[in-house]
Amino acid sequence: MKIEYQNLNLMLQKFKANPYKIYPVLTPHTGYIKEFKVKEGDTVRGPSGKWLEKPGSPLFVLEREKNQKIIRAKINGIVQNLRTDLLNKFVEAEETILEIKHPLSQKEIISEILLSALYIIKAPETARYILSPALASRLEKQGLGKVKVKKGEEVLIMTFMKRETPIYFSEDGNFVLYYIYFTPFQLVERDQPLLGFCQEENLPYLQKIIERIKEEWSDF
Amino acid sequence: MKERVLIANRGEIALRIMEACKDLGIDYVVVYTKEDQDSLHVRLAEKKYRISDYKDMNDLLAVADEAKCTAIHPGYGFLSENYRFARRVVKRGRPLIFIGPSWEAIRDLGNKLFLKKLAKDLGIPVIPGTTEPIYNEIEAELKAEELYESLNSEGINNPSLLVKAVAGGGGMGIAEVKDLEELRPTFRKIKAYAKRLFGDEGIIIEAKIPTLQHIEVQILGSKHGEYVHFGTRNCTIQSISKQKRIEIAPGFNKESKYAFDCREAEANIINYSLKLAKYFKYDSVGTWEWLITPEGKYFLMEVNTRIQVENEISAKISFVKNKQVNLIKEQIRVAFGEKLKYSQEDITFKGVSIELRLIAEDTQRGFLPLSGTITRFKWTPKPWLTVRTHVPQDQPYTIPTQFDPNLALAIIYGNNFEEAKKRSLEFLNDIIIEGYTPKGEKLVTNIEFLKEKLEQLYQFVGS
Repeated sequence: MKIEYQNLNLMLQKFKANPYKIYPVLTPHTGYIKEFKVKEGDTVRGPSGKWLEKPGSPLFVLEREKNQKIIRAKINGIVQNLRTDLLNKFVEAEETILEIKHPLSQKEIISEILLSALYIIKAPETARYILSPALASRLEKQGLGKVKVKKGEEVLIMTFMKRETPIYFSEDGNFVLYYIYFTPFQLVERDQPLLGFCQEENLPYLQKIIERIKEEWSDF
Repeated sequence: MKERVLIANRGEIALRIMEACKDLGIDYVVVYTKEDQDSLHVRLAEKKYRISDYKDMNDLLAVADEAKCTAIHPGYGFLSENYRFARRVVKRGRPLIFIGPSWEAIRDLGNKLFLKKLAKDLGIPVIPGTTEPIYNEIEAELKAEELYESLNSEGINNPSLLVKAVAGGGGMGIAEVKDLEELRPTFRKIKAYAKRLFGDEGIIIEAKIPTLQHIEVQILGSKHGEYVHFGTRNCTIQSISKQKRIEIAPGFNKESKYAFDCREAEANIINYSLKLAKYFKYDSVGTWEWLITPEGKYFLMEVNTRIQVENEISAKISFVKNKQVNLIKEQIRVAFGEKLKYSQEDITFKGVSIELRLIAEDTQRGFLPLSGTITRFKWTPKPWLTVRTHVPQDQPYTIPTQFDPNLALAIIYGNNFEEAKKRSLEFLNDIIIEGYTPKGEKLVTNIEFLKEKLEQLYQFVGS
């Protein structure tokens, strides 16, 4: 196990000192900013519902080729650094329009701390990834924390430069897939975490860590 | 109104279009995605717009309006052969000029089955095989038997057939059948694959051309019914996934011995290409691709309705009224409705030109594309050498992973084949490309592969 209890305390303290993450909201494509639906300091919500079927709060309207698109919040938080100077102006793709100061949730804290506790497979390239079909099918039947993986087993497929490249699990020992950090077919930057694995014998200890975080951290 | 071109592409082709526009005194605007912000085409352009994707039609048209462009040059790849895009460009509320052929020509010539059927009707030789999609294995077996017998009667013993997915391409959805007994299981396998991958189960059966050369004819047509050709190119040297790596113009080595009259074969494929171009009133640059066998049989394979990567080797050996031609400039001129101002008689050919595609790939591991950072990129300038690249030489450059890892095109001129080949080797021995992969290993390129393959230029290869 890579994480000690003392380290866990330090980590939790660090998160408590600054329990926020700043998410910039970028334009998905070019167009004119036609209207702002928020102002500085507004609280916005990301998608919600069991299947995230309820869309996030509207942030601004982007018009391109006579089509208006409402850009919505993808995460909860408070609006800051709103670029009101861009109203009625043409903007390029990936221009930062505002930031959302997002209070970290219990689930996110667990995910961040697990990064230090688990054996992580990171993205070897900026590419799109999916789980290998065999692993995906076992995961569907057994669920996270129960699927065992062995050294040499194909766990991911990387779609990169028009080719598909398998990624294999390379650790000795009895591991289970514990956490998935990526969304299939979405672009993942190089070195970002993809999958987290835990040694089978450490599962009870890992569970204890999670319980501890849950006790100490409640959502806003 | 002054013309202004939106260059809807990246890399070296964007740079070449920029250069052509400058020479013609036309304004231009470039687009780029976040990954390309360090590319030379972005650094050298005065007016540039960041877009989300080179294939996003709405983004391109929004930028075209914002920048008050009057035309769009699609380059190659991306949207260059998308007839819906070409149609939208010319038919929208604020129409623009599409620098390419008409959308109807792109649509019809891009449909391989339609093209094959039409070529057959016009008496243009195509690869023997079916011209309608087959969905039923009994029918497939009957058609395969007919084809097998017809090939046998032409003196081809034990011919092989190819079972191909209509919607496939680039080596995907294709299997060889050496014995008719294998036909049904192979048909079933490819049909299932095609359904899974392309959502279209249509299959065609064709004769396999066992040994071949890949020849291209460079055509140019104008809106005034003028048609000329700029000779042929030989693009036989390819990677295992059928991507070109070395091209040479002219397409035939007239100093070498063929089992057939190569001048006659070249004249015939050029005439057939022009016949089809005239039928379509083709009004841009285009490439007619042919397969030729060691016995001198030739078959039309497909038509590329765009500027080709390798267009410059044709330009290097083509002279209009003794002046070297620039095919991109010609493409832009005809798109704006200009006349050619010359005819075929004014075009002469001199010398041999070779194009080498320098790519970050591991040819020992199935041409595996590689990403990484180029730290040193240097070559000695020569009067016979043109290097087209978007990779800066004055700062490290990280290869974006979203595109093919093409680094540069080297276009080499020689007075004859031997000289062009010798100079190509000189260039490959001289160029320095250094860099590292994300894992910190030395970045590999295909230079050694190119050196080795120079010896195989103008040779017939197994398909």
